[in-house]
Amino acid sequence: MAKRKKATDLRVFGATLQGFAQACINLNIVAGAKAENLLGDIEITGWYPFEKLREIERVVMQAYENSAPILERVGMEMMLGWYNFGPGKQIIKRGVDFLHFQTGSQGYASVVNGPEELVGSFNLEFLDEESGRARINSTTPFNKDLERGVIIGGMSSPGDLDFIDVKNDENPQVFQIEFA
Amino acid sequence: MSLEQLLESGNVPGKANLSDEDLARLVRKYRGLQKKHERDQAFWSATNENLRIAYERLDEQERELARTYGIIQEDLAVASRIQQALLPQPSDKMAAELDVAVYHKQLTEVGGDYYDFFNTCAGNYAVGVFDISGHGVSAALVMTYLKAKFMTILEKHDSPKVIVEWINNNAYEFLKTVKKYATVNFVVVDSKAIRYVSGGGFGLLVSGAGSTVFEKRDSFLGLRRRAFHEYELAFRKGDVLALYTDGIPEAQNEQGEDYTVRRLNELIIENARRPVREILDRCLEDYTGFRSKDSDDVSLLILRKKA
Repeated sequence: MAKRKKATDLRVFGATLQGFAQACINLNIVAGAKAENLLGDIEITGWYPFEKLREIERVVMQAYENSAPILERVGMEMMLGWYNFGPGKQIIKRGVDFLHFQTGSQGYASVVNGPEELVGSFNLEFLDEESGRARINSTTPFNKDLERGVIIGGMSSPGDLDFIDVKNDENPQVFQIEFA
Repeated sequence: MSLEQLLESGNVPGKANLSDEDLARLVRKYRGLQKKHERDQAFWSATNENLRIAYERLDEQERELARTYGIIQEDLAVASRIQQALLPQPSDKMAAELDVAVYHKQLTEVGGDYYDFFNTCAGNYAVGVFDISGHGVSAALVMTYLKAKFMTILEKHDSPKVIVEWINNNAYEFLKTVKKYATVNFVVVDSKAIRYVSGGGFGLLVSGAGSTVFEKRDSFLGLRRRAFHEYELAFRKGDVLALYTDGIPEAQNEQGEDYTVRRLNELIIENARRPVREILDRCLEDYTGFRSKDSDDVSLLILRKKA
């Protein structure tokens, strides 16, 4: 887990930034010299201005007329990397564990720091394992399509769930989750 | 048999073989696959749309590139005609005293080799052969710059050393700025002798049974601010003077061997009694048979004193 330090501006953890960039490369959203530039100077244990992540996000949004499904897939791909090559397997054993991990915004808080009003939260507000329903409220600066992909990817990585659906059509900040 | 085993086997089970729990899981799996399919479809649809837009942009860029290439080609064709027009014909006086044969071929539309015939203020004539570093438009522009400089200084001086030194001193800063330099072979011909300066150029004088290869101790134009050396050789009726750039001697065959200065000079000496056009043709025949491809501009001038 990343060590937190006080920052006056919004910062993102290197591993997250690298995971985002690597997902874009894996999905062939960027290639060649552009891809090398994306990964070039990212240290996974470093902290980077959040703007750097925004830059990559802009690359995707400019390249695709309909970027929502692409960003969702990037989020899923990021979490696949987090689970298979990062600390994911140690942290979650079941799909629903990924939801528990968001309790009190603890998962999110380990990868973004800065002034509270800018950092926001990514918090599990409701979970009923029996009925397979949950709700996450997000006030983070991340793109909401990307976050939807993060939830789907995080929950499906262990492979124990047969069904996952995440919707935020009515309110982009509120993710209604169904799973079984 | 569990649901997983049934799904793995690919056999369609009879309804009686599935428990309610199995059926419920089957429905969940089906809905999960449906969701996955929806997400995949949205992703591939966005990707395909992106591909279509990318192809359209590529198509547009190709058309733009073709338009731009066409404009550049037209410009280069004009530049080539201008450069050809700047290459001189011998004056009547010079033609009366010398037989001249010239081969000048540029690797690209406009090139870095440059030769010129001049009249000096003392009533003599001069021949200059230059190889400007690089090829293309930049080299051609340097050529026009040098030509203008020569025209200016030749109105005042007749000595190759004075002329070339003046050119070098005046062009030094400019050539340094544009990161160019040029070899120089500058020969002033009077009634009895030739006087020359050679900085990186190649020259050969065949006189009777003897021959003299040009001294080439001096620097290129634009490399250093140094004094140049002037040499004088007798130039009698029937003598043959050959001036050339490195295009022929440095040409390589399929095995990577150089044509060499020696081979060219021996060929010129061997054929020195022939008319200048024939000497030139023999040299070119030998060169084209040897070299694997044209890799540099080529300039070869053969001059014979006839009066």
